[in-house]
Amino acid sequence: MLWYKSWLETRWRFLIGLVLLICSALSTVFTYPQVMKLLPMAQHLPVNVSGEIGRRIREAVELSRSFQGHVWSNWFRQNLPQTWTLFAVLIGTGGFLSHSTGGGTLFTLSMPVSRNRLLGVRSTMGLIELFALAFVPSIFIPLFSPAIGQHYGVGSVLVYSACLFIAGSVFFSLAALLSTMFSDIWRPLLIALAIAIGLSIVEQLSQISFGIFHVMHGESYFRTGALPWAGLLASAALSVALQYAAATNITRRDF
Amino acid sequence: MPESSIIETRDLHKVYDGVEALRGLDLTVPPGSIYGFLGRNGAGKTTTIKVLLGMSHPTGGEARVLGLPAGSTEVRRRTGFVSEEKDLYDFMTVAEMIRFTAPFFPRWRAELEQRYLRKFELPADRKVKALSRGTRTKLALLLALCRGAELLILDEPTSGLDPAMAEEVLQALVAHVASEEMTVFFSSHQIAEVDQIADRVAIIDRGKTVVTGALDDLRERYQRVQMVFDGEAPQAQFRAPGVVRVQRKGRMLTVMTSGGAEAIVDEATALHPVSVDVIPVTLKEIFLETVAAED
Amino acid sequence: MLFRPNPSLGVPIYLQLMEQVKHAIETGALRPGEQLPGIRPLAEELVMNPNTVAKAYRELEHEGVIELRHGAGAFVSAQARPKKLADAVRDAQPAIAATVKRLRARGLTDEEIRRLFEAELGGHHA
Repeated sequence: MLWYKSWLETRWRFLIGLVLLICSALSTVFTYPQVMKLLPMAQHLPVNVSGEIGRRIREAVELSRSFQGHVWSNWFRQNLPQTWTLFAVLIGTGGFLSHSTGGGTLFTLSMPVSRNRLLGVRSTMGLIELFALAFVPSIFIPLFSPAIGQHYGVGSVLVYSACLFIAGSVFFSLAALLSTMFSDIWRPLLIALAIAIGLSIVEQLSQISFGIFHVMHGESYFRTGALPWAGLLASAALSVALQYAAATNITRRDF
Repeated sequence: MPESSIIETRDLHKVYDGVEALRGLDLTVPPGSIYGFLGRNGAGKTTTIKVLLGMSHPTGGEARVLGLPAGSTEVRRRTGFVSEEKDLYDFMTVAEMIRFTAPFFPRWRAELEQRYLRKFELPADRKVKALSRGTRTKLALLLALCRGAELLILDEPTSGLDPAMAEEVLQALVAHVASEEMTVFFSSHQIAEVDQIADRVAIIDRGKTVVTGALDDLRERYQRVQMVFDGEAPQAQFRAPGVVRVQRKGRMLTVMTSGGAEAIVDEATALHPVSVDVIPVTLKEIFLETVAAED
Repeated sequence: MLFRPNPSLGVPIYLQLMEQVKHAIETGALRPGEQLPGIRPLAEELVMNPNTVAKAYRELEHEGVIELRHGAGAFVSAQARPKKLADAVRDAQPAIAATVKRLRARGLTDEEIRRLFEAELGGHHA
């Protein structure tokens, strides 16, 4: 039925993302010993490189001194959100009524289901997959840290993954909305990616301490232990609004 | 408007991108009929069907199917549909398509599913994209026929099929209709197949219905009166209602009428022709005349 | 035995079917009391609209040519056509054939011959 069909449509994207992220999580753990060895040499880096880049290099070095810092800096702030956001957009693109699904648009529309339900099933399946992509690879870190003699708490994993999933769902919903506006898959995909990349660059270059990626990284939790409630609520609301707009669009459209 | 019409549209309008696809379409399909919907390419047949099933939203007028507003989910639960392109999911197999479709319809008929699988010789494990056009059509037909629907809507059911396959499809349709209580509404620009199985027709031209009625009734009403004269045929005006076309050629005057020949024949005698013949008119001729006459 | 009606003749299909049944009775292919094919199987075999078959059968019953027995099917009426008249029709055929042959020999076309017959029988002629 509809659930099975939406699984069929998104499963390869999901499985590839899962494998990639698990490998990346494992590499975050198993490259740490190497990082620890290289740390003393970092003293000889030109520490007076000015500006943002210099600041970042110094910060990265500082963070790597502890395993917790290394995991946050390398995984929760970089590898995980970058790859996850890409897959959020990939999985959010398409949908039952887009031409990418191998035909059958008119057939789907002749089924006795409302267009809202079509969108709802597809979005729910996508969110379930993205939830798995946010949590499952991250769990590998506490699981395998003992192998290098380190420890990482499952609780932290849960907090960071939740921040990523809730805030990042905005990009998924954005891709879904764009997919209701265009019947091909390229434009929604490229536009959503462009927006994500653009936002990411803006957030990094400017000195502001808030923004969607800040929430996704769980930055305030890392630095101060405070959960970014406002950010999480705002992103969840935005995500819902985008889905609502997608539903309105798909209901009004002529095929 | 009869209360028990299966399909009913009144002054239906649809504008796409500034193009008026439907310009006030009126349609009444009584239950139990096999209703042929004839028109040239681009006349508005597919648009009408899309409005009835909710794939497109009308911009004006009214449409009802099975007494319910056109496009509602309940209509689709009780209607079988085959699109012109025989639109299905390319990546599913025949068996998967059936497993996908059946649960949506509480009145799915499992015994019909078995019967048609055998009769149509559908390979259960072959993917849809690997099926020939004829086999795809039969699968689409199976999926439409097994849902226990009261209405079947087909958009050009035999398009792209060779004559033998087309005949098989028509035969399956007729056999199904003979044993179930249902109404069939199909669009076509193949006059021969409408002639063969329809009992009522509507001819649509440029978004409007130009002819409707029972086929037998049309065959009796539309006639040609051919008059031959001694000299040049006169320029005559016929006052009887229903004149579709008057043609003069040499000594012959031909009048095509939709109101029966008697009135024309009466007026003809006043012109003193040498001979008067009444010739039956085929559906093809009715079509060609009523569709061209608007130019 | 029953052939597909020809839609492009411009003559209603149910009338053509009725004619075929009557002709079958006249030539003795269908005898009084014999059962006709059911409406559904006939529609399937000839690939035509079942409503049209039903209409033809109803009209034939109205004319007394056949009987529709509830639940059992359609049967040729016992008094549909006495065998003597069927014989008369059969016997007339050679006479008609001879006449047509003679008229053709005189140079008349088939169309002209048909018109003469129709005019004689009170068909299409002002």
